[in-house]
Amino acid sequence: MSPADRGRPRRPPLLAVDVVGVLHVVGTLILYLSAATLVPAGVALGYEESPWPFLVAGAAAASLGGGVMLVTRGEHRLGIREGFLVVALTWVTAAALAATPYVLSGDPQVDSLVDAYFEGMSGFTTTGGSILTQVEELPRGLAMWRQFTQWLGGIGIIVLALAVLPRLRVGGRQLLEHELPGPEIESLTTRIRDTAQRIWILYVGLTALLIAILAGLGLAGVDDEMTPFHAIAHAFTTISTAGFSTKSDSIGAFAPATQWVVIVFMVLGGINFALMYRALVRRQPRAATRDEELRLYVALLAVGAAVLIALVWVEDIVPGLEGVRAATFTAVATMTTTGYSVVDYNVWPALALMTIVGLMFIGGSAGSTSGSVKVVRHLLLGKVLRREIDQTLHPEIVLPVRLNRAVVDERTLRAVSSFILLYIGIFILGALVLAVDAARTGLELSTLDAISVSASMLSNVGPALGIGGPLGSFEPFSDFSTLVMTVLMWLGRLEIVPIVVLLSRHYWRS
Amino acid sequence: MKIFVIGAGQVGATIVQALHDEHELTVFDLDGDRLAAISQRYDVHTVEGNGASRRVLSSAGIAAANLLIACTSRDESNIVAAMISKACSRRTTTIVRTTNPEYLEVWREGQLDVDFIVSSEVETAHAILRTVGVPAARQTDVFADGQVQLVEFDITDSADPGILGRPLRDAHTPPDSRLAAILRGEEVVIPRGDETIEPGDRIVVIGSPQAAQEWGDLIAPGTGKVSDVVVFGAGRAGTAIARLLLEQGIGVRLIEASRERARVVAAELPDARVYNATGLDPDFLERERIADAQVAIFAMRDDLKNHFAATLAKVHGARFTIAIVHEGPSQEVFEHAGVDVTVNPRQITAEEIVRFAHDPRTQQVVMLEGDRFEVLDITTQRDSEYVGLKFKDMPIRGALIGAIVRDGKAVFPRGDEVLRPGDRVIVFTESQRVAEVEKAL
Repeated sequence: MSPADRGRPRRPPLLAVDVVGVLHVVGTLILYLSAATLVPAGVALGYEESPWPFLVAGAAAASLGGGVMLVTRGEHRLGIREGFLVVALTWVTAAALAATPYVLSGDPQVDSLVDAYFEGMSGFTTTGGSILTQVEELPRGLAMWRQFTQWLGGIGIIVLALAVLPRLRVGGRQLLEHELPGPEIESLTTRIRDTAQRIWILYVGLTALLIAILAGLGLAGVDDEMTPFHAIAHAFTTISTAGFSTKSDSIGAFAPATQWVVIVFMVLGGINFALMYRALVRRQPRAATRDEELRLYVALLAVGAAVLIALVWVEDIVPGLEGVRAATFTAVATMTTTGYSVVDYNVWPALALMTIVGLMFIGGSAGSTSGSVKVVRHLLLGKVLRREIDQTLHPEIVLPVRLNRAVVDERTLRAVSSFILLYIGIFILGALVLAVDAARTGLELSTLDAISVSASMLSNVGPALGIGGPLGSFEPFSDFSTLVMTVLMWLGRLEIVPIVVLLSRHYWRS
Repeated sequence: MKIFVIGAGQVGATIVQALHDEHELTVFDLDGDRLAAISQRYDVHTVEGNGASRRVLSSAGIAAANLLIACTSRDESNIVAAMISKACSRRTTTIVRTTNPEYLEVWREGQLDVDFIVSSEVETAHAILRTVGVPAARQTDVFADGQVQLVEFDITDSADPGILGRPLRDAHTPPDSRLAAILRGEEVVIPRGDETIEPGDRIVVIGSPQAAQEWGDLIAPGTGKVSDVVVFGAGRAGTAIARLLLEQGIGVRLIEASRERARVVAAELPDARVYNATGLDPDFLERERIADAQVAIFAMRDDLKNHFAATLAKVHGARFTIAIVHEGPSQEVFEHAGVDVTVNPRQITAEEIVRFAHDPRTQQVVMLEGDRFEVLDITTQRDSEYVGLKFKDMPIRGALIGAIVRDGKAVFPRGDEVLRPGDRVIVFTESQRVAEVEKAL
């Protein structure tokens, strides 16, 4: 402050958010993320396809991100407020980065910008819903880019950045909390950077293991369809519970053994990675077996699978062991929000379809790669409701809610309850808009279909019922509906709150 | 023995009262008036000063002291005093009083250089638990890892006719137990065969836990096993009691007036039902059916509140009430109000400390009826005049052997049992005969 300024009241800043600082961080993140395009470029070269869509997209993103980063250099105030905007903007731009190669490739299946953006968002948010109709006709490089974006988005772009990049100059913990799903993160270490690194090491390790197993099945002759290319492509989207496939028939194109392996790894992808790290790497298996969320997660998967098996058997749609596999696969793929498929469940009885839509609202564990509400929130809500009943009878009683024996503080419980309300509200709004828009454009979309599409997008599952079903595509939807679905995926992946916060006037003004 | 007592409050005064006859006491306190009150009654040396100060301790001759008892109301002062004492003189045994169970834990793990720690809260909780374990028992203590219990009962009209008003030799008393004394007003009756138990008496029984339970059933028929206890006040004492009860598998309801404290305790004790209420509200008592609890324990910090709440609970039908009393005179007030049992944490703490000050062979001492009687736990020596005698032939000199512990097992002696050297004996005796009895055995 110069001497002349002293004593004079300063004008309050226009915004309470340091937008320039936010742009700086987002620019930096995009600059680094642009390097990801080198992977499909390499694949394209290997298969003698044109690498230019990737290289151009990468160069554009790098120069744009780098440019913003340079222009916005300087002292920034980066706090909790800025964190929300960083996360929201990073994911919007990342989806654009993912979409660019689709547009540049000139592939006839992704001719519209809206469709390409949908595909990009579906990629990074690990949703797995696609506007493609014939995925096998995509060039190999582009197909691998789809899979790779899902793998990057699985555990989180920012988690990756925190783990790999030198220093983001912004409170890592808040960013991680916005991006890693679940009500609160469990720190493995005192430094958040170390935690992010450990999670990524586990993530990479599991992916490598799955690639080895799948490729092994292919080489051993168990699964003739499983080439190394497909092994890598599907390992990317299994651990990330994402759901893009390089086959039109999804996992249904592969042998039963492959399908069982994929079931196991989808289940693993839906487990809290911090918990898995402790159980596998630190050899504390008790931490896992005693974890209430994990127990409920496994129980819900078992119940979901059992219900579907029973219905499939009773209606005699898929008989015998094949029915067990198809039903188990569908239950696991839906609840972990992967969205792979082995059968077209659109022909299953109504109760089975309702069960599938219901499973979409459960999701995996907090701190996993899955989307949706997450098991721990259901667990806590259940406990809160049980407490409410007890308190009605005994108004003075003090009942702390416990999770794994530790008391959960009331703020977290309130946050969980309001999250679920918000989630349901946005889901209903989404279904409503999609149904009305379908009626406007004459799209054949039943009420249950609209509900399932909204739930599937918000929960980052992927396939829904009806035309957006396992073997279908979201291509017939109007541009407006496609945008709505894109926003739902974005909201769902970041768990709504960091984005809704941006709509508040108090966020922008101090 | 040279003993330093730091702190002349209630605990300190009780300890001085129990030890001043046999030992050479030096009492420290910052408050000169308290010291004056003590030196007027007892022949002890007093030092006005900080007992946690090295200068004060060494000028009083800490090096020559055998035992240092730090029993002020401040935990940290007590610990510092003991540590300074250890630093000045290793051979001085130190006893510290604490109100914080955490220090007890730390000490058990060997992290505190103190020979013995007594936690008022934990001792109080144990005392209450023993009372709850044996319904209608007035004061109980345990010996030999719980194999032998000492129980005091108030006899009322409702006692079983099998024991009431009959000559003792005909009464159906439970096996494995001995009636040690009958207290009738100011008089102590040594129970002989032709003596009878009358309503209004207070009896002292030494026996196995099983027998103590049976005595309880005889004296207060109809009280079954305890499963529902209400504790008023979730301070340290209340929480310690609740924790012990829960460990015994007894259901506990805790009532705490402070919202914050209620939250903390509810988090600490997952198995307890914690209510945020004052306990002074009749509506609450009715709604939660507090009177249905088998035992109501009043462990609030304020005697007046305990008194009010206990009386209110009684009015609403509480069956058995136990109150923690903090001030000496409160005991009488509570008893007058119909509270069944009163427990004084300071007295219990003093007892526990005095136990240590006695003959090293004496492993446990219980002070009954102020300090008129004591129960000693002594190992017999080879040259004892009693060794080799049959129990029925032993001369009675105001002392009674209630039980012996032989090879780790409790034995309740019949008339022709012989006392062997090395037996641990639980002896009930008048206080002035303690030294005599210890010598004889």
